[in-house]
Amino acid sequence: MVVNTETIAGKVITKNLGVVGGSTVRAKHLGRDIFAGLKNVVGGELTAYTELLEESRNEAIARMVADASARGANAIVNVRFATSAVTSGASELFAYGTAVTVE
Amino acid sequence: MVDASVICWGPFLLIAALFAIFGIIWTIAYPLLFLYGAVFSGRRLNKSMSNIALRERTSIEHFGKDPLSNLKGAHIVGGVRNSGLVYSSIVHAPSHWQLLIASINGLFGGRIDILHRVISVGRAEATQRLREQAQAAGWDDVLNVRIDTAEMTPPSNQGTKAVEVFAYGTGVKYG
Repeated sequence: MVVNTETIAGKVITKNLGVVGGSTVRAKHLGRDIFAGLKNVVGGELTAYTELLEESRNEAIARMVADASARGANAIVNVRFATSAVTSGASELFAYGTAVTVE
Repeated sequence: MVDASVICWGPFLLIAALFAIFGIIWTIAYPLLFLYGAVFSGRRLNKSMSNIALRERTSIEHFGKDPLSNLKGAHIVGGVRNSGLVYSSIVHAPSHWQLLIASINGLFGGRIDILHRVISVGRAEATQRLREQAQAAGWDDVLNVRIDTAEMTPPSNQGTKAVEVFAYGTGVKYG
């Protein structure tokens, strides 16, 4: 169970297992980059980069969950996301939260 | 001295040819796209704004109210059966025409409405997608919604000028 509230409504947190996180840096291939560059001139949504963010977010969350389950947690509370722009066309995503056990 | 005939020119020529082709396409396509953006980007913004308003109305009808809130869940009376993370994002870019207008606008200072509109459309789209995600996952409510904005490119870098809006929250199912 992954939530971004401090507690899970209706559940009692029994153990705090520390901060867990997962991060990833991903990029799209050159062809998509060129197409996005052309789309950027016209404006509007850049679908290639929306997809890119979606993929990297899923990967970061999956890594965070793997980290938490390695510690024996069954939930992560207070999840936050941080992004940074490393270079153009690549995105770095970091997801972190507190691993806990709940009843 | 290395004899020139020893060097394998194939890969270099291939890369050079690719650069040349891309350069030619860029020189031809850029003015056309720029003009297209100048004519249609404002209209497309209005269109997507009304489209978002329409979708917002249907999802508010589905939930009976706006599901998104900033509350942490302490107000909930009665139980919560299940909860989980919902998130959505969009990368939204102003057209180069709008950037040009904005830079001219910036010389005089004051409000830059044209960029404000681009970013608010991106934000409205991201929050609407969050509602749709919550609807698809079967949540009754979305708590503790955060909306983050970040740039796709480092500020010093020439490249894609776009804003990414990222909305997330905790979906709950009342028991």
